[in-house]
Amino acid sequence: MHENPWGWLIVLYLFLAGAGAGAFIAAAAAQLLAPDWSKALARAGSIASGPLVILGTLFLVLDLEAGLWQPWRQIYMLSNPQSMITWGVVMLALFIPITLLYAAGLHEFTFVGRFAKRHLNFLGGVGSFLAAGVAGYTGVLIAVVNGVPFWNTPVMPTLFMASAMSTGLAVAMVGAAIIDIDTIRTLSNLALGHIIFLITEGVVLMLFVFMSLTRSTEAAASAMTLISGGLAPYFWGIVVILGILIPLTLSVVEYWEHGEMPKYLVVGADLLILFGGFSLRALIIFSGGPPNIV
Amino acid sequence: MPRYGIAIDTTRCIGCHSCRVACQNQQGLDYNQAFNWIAELNRGSAAAFDKEFFPHQCNHCENAPCQRVCPTGAIYTSPEGVVLVHRHRCIGCKYCIQACPYKVRFIDEHEGISIKCWLCIDLVRAGGTPACVTTCPTQVRIFGDLDDPTSVISRFIARNRAEPLRPDLNTRPKIFYKRS
Repeated sequence: MHENPWGWLIVLYLFLAGAGAGAFIAAAAAQLLAPDWSKALARAGSIASGPLVILGTLFLVLDLEAGLWQPWRQIYMLSNPQSMITWGVVMLALFIPITLLYAAGLHEFTFVGRFAKRHLNFLGGVGSFLAAGVAGYTGVLIAVVNGVPFWNTPVMPTLFMASAMSTGLAVAMVGAAIIDIDTIRTLSNLALGHIIFLITEGVVLMLFVFMSLTRSTEAAASAMTLISGGLAPYFWGIVVILGILIPLTLSVVEYWEHGEMPKYLVVGADLLILFGGFSLRALIIFSGGPPNIV
Repeated sequence: MPRYGIAIDTTRCIGCHSCRVACQNQQGLDYNQAFNWIAELNRGSAAAFDKEFFPHQCNHCENAPCQRVCPTGAIYTSPEGVVLVHRHRCIGCKYCIQACPYKVRFIDEHEGISIKCWLCIDLVRAGGTPACVTTCPTQVRIFGDLDDPTSVISRFIARNRAEPLRPDLNTRPKIFYKRS
C-alpha cells in the first residue's frame, strides 16, 4: 500500500534550492573577499541564485494537490510554527527578494539597483545567513521526518549543506565561464573551494552511510540499497565517482597547475558536480523506506 | 471527555477483510482506497508454520508526527483524542504521509487532500462505534474509553498487556495490540 509520496518535483526543488542558495553564498563571498579578480563569478552567482530558487519553489508548489487547485489555501502554510515547511516558506519568502535585490545591486540595474548598491554588503550578509538557512532547511525538512528512519538524523542537513555549497560554487563557476570564458584561469584559485567542499561532502556522505548502517534496521536497509542494492550503480557510479571523485581530482589538478588546464575540463568538472548533487538528492529521497511497524 | 482508542486482538482475526469493506462503505471510499488494511505475516517453515493476520489503521497518536509537520495546521486532535484533517485547510503537500511512521495516510484524488481513518467520529458522537468495530464477525476490535479503568478496552489492555505499535518512536498511539 505504501509508495513514496514525493517524486522528482521534490528532488528538483531540493537540488535547485540548495544550488541557488550555495550560488548566493559563493557570489557574496567572492564579492566581499576578492572583488577584483572574481567579478565574473560574483555576477554570475548573484544572477543565477534568484531564478534557481524561484524555479525550485515553483516545482514545490506544482507538487501540491489541493493547494495547487485552490492556491488561496497556501496562505495557511504560515500557521504551524512546529512545521519545517512553515519555516521554509518564511525563509524562501525573505531570501528570494534579497537575492534579486543583490543581483540588481551588483549590476546597478535601474534605480532599484542603484539603491541596492549602497547596501550591497548588508544585503550580502543578511542574504548569506538566509541562504545558509535555505540550504540547511532542505536537509532539516526531511531530517525531522520520523516516518523515514534513513533520513531521521542530524547528519542529513550537514550533508545537504555541504552539497549545496559545492553545487552552488559549481553554478557560479559555470555562469562565470558563460559570461567570460577567459576568466577561468583567474578562477583557478577558487578550485580550492571545490576541493574543500567536495572533501567535506564526501566525508559527511561516508559518515551518513556508515552511521545509517548501525542506526536502525530500517536505516540500514535503506543504506544497503544505496551501497549494494538496486541503487548501487547510481550511487557509486554517479554520486561517488562522477559527482565527487572525478571533479575532486580535476580541481586538485586545476589548483596545482594554476588554471593551466583545458577549459572544457574545468567547466566539465562543474557540470559533473551539479549532476552528482542532483543525483544525491534523488537517491536519498528514493531510498528512504518506512519503519517496520509489525 | 473520553479518550477513545481501539484494542486489536490479532489472535482472533480470520483475515476476512470485512472491517476494510465496512469502512469503505461507511466513508464512501473508492475500491482502491482504504482506511484500514490486513497484512498477512508468515513465520517459520513447514512443520512449525504460523500465519498472523495483522489489521492496522491510523493509530491516532497523542504525539502525532503528522500533526507536528503539517504546515497549514490542517491536522488537529479532537477533544476525544481523535486525529482529524480539516478538509478545507489541507494543501496536499504530502509531508504528513512522509512523517507518519505507520504509513496509513494517502492522497484522495477527488479532493487533493491527505485523508485517513477518523475513527468514525460522527457515529461515535452519536453513541455508536466505528464501522470496523461493529462489523467484525470475530470481535477482533474492542472500542472504548482508555481513560475509564472499568471500560472493556481498559480491562482488556491490562489483562493481556496489550501494547501499541513501535512505542519507541514516542508517538503514543491509541491502538493497542494483543499479538499472542
